[in-house]
Amino acid sequence: MTRNEPFQTDQLQQDLDYVAGAVRRRDRPVGVPAIYFLWAAIIAVGFALPDFAPEGTGPFWLAASVGGGLLSWWLGARAERRSGINDRALGLRYGLHWGIGGIAFILTFLPLLLGRVPVQQGGAQFLFTTGLLYALAGVHLERGLLWSGLLMLAAFAVLTLFALPYTWTISGVVIALSLAWAGLSARRAIAAGACA
Amino acid sequence: MKALDGLDPALEHRARLAISVLLARHGEISFAGFKQQLDMTDGNLGAQLRKLEDAGYLALRRDFVERKPVTWYALTKDGRKALHRHLAALRDVIATAG
Repeated sequence: MTRNEPFQTDQLQQDLDYVAGAVRRRDRPVGVPAIYFLWAAIIAVGFALPDFAPEGTGPFWLAASVGGGLLSWWLGARAERRSGINDRALGLRYGLHWGIGGIAFILTFLPLLLGRVPVQQGGAQFLFTTGLLYALAGVHLERGLLWSGLLMLAAFAVLTLFALPYTWTISGVVIALSLAWAGLSARRAIAAGACA
Repeated sequence: MKALDGLDPALEHRARLAISVLLARHGEISFAGFKQQLDMTDGNLGAQLRKLEDAGYLALRRDFVERKPVTWYALTKDGRKALHRHLAALRDVIATAG
């Protein structure tokens, strides 16, 4: 559309469709596959520990949550620089979501630390907090996390209602598989032209 | 049509409008990032970016990503104001036409 040409609504419509299409191309990031795979591995190991080596659960999650968080941040920043879009507002949204998640984890740990709840119940509360965080991340940040979050909440319900053997291990394997599947979907979407 | 007078010539080309809208939404975008988002040739994209730069609407930052030189683009204050004015004029145009 130029000033000297007669005004044409069709041309304007096409121009605005083009702009809208360019904006929608990155409307919802698909996520960074390496981060999905990283947390699939951490969760598969970390969820099996309460069943097979309960004494190692606390130290493992202390190290894995901090180390995994930092590694995820680095992988996310690297993917963003590679994609050629440095979106500080989106970065802030991710930071706020997972930062609030960190506070929620500390608050979930508090009753365990003070001995106000049994270890098994306190551990299940972590699953509830994590499930909620993942499900909300799936709603607000990356759709791939939604199913993993819902699976965690379902596992929390099973853990709370039934005393099944190896529930933690089975929950971990299911969640890890859902994260790996989300990672593979993200990788396919990126190969097809979507943005991490 | 009087509403057309409010349109900014530098933003009337759809690629330049898309570049400005993407920058307003995301902050900083590299040349390669624009190529992926807009599906344009290097020559055409470079020419449209140059026109916005000449109008004082774009700020450039040179950086290295994995040892490769990368130019990042961001909207200047003038660019952001111009985009808001242009979008308001577009809304008037649409309202007048509708």
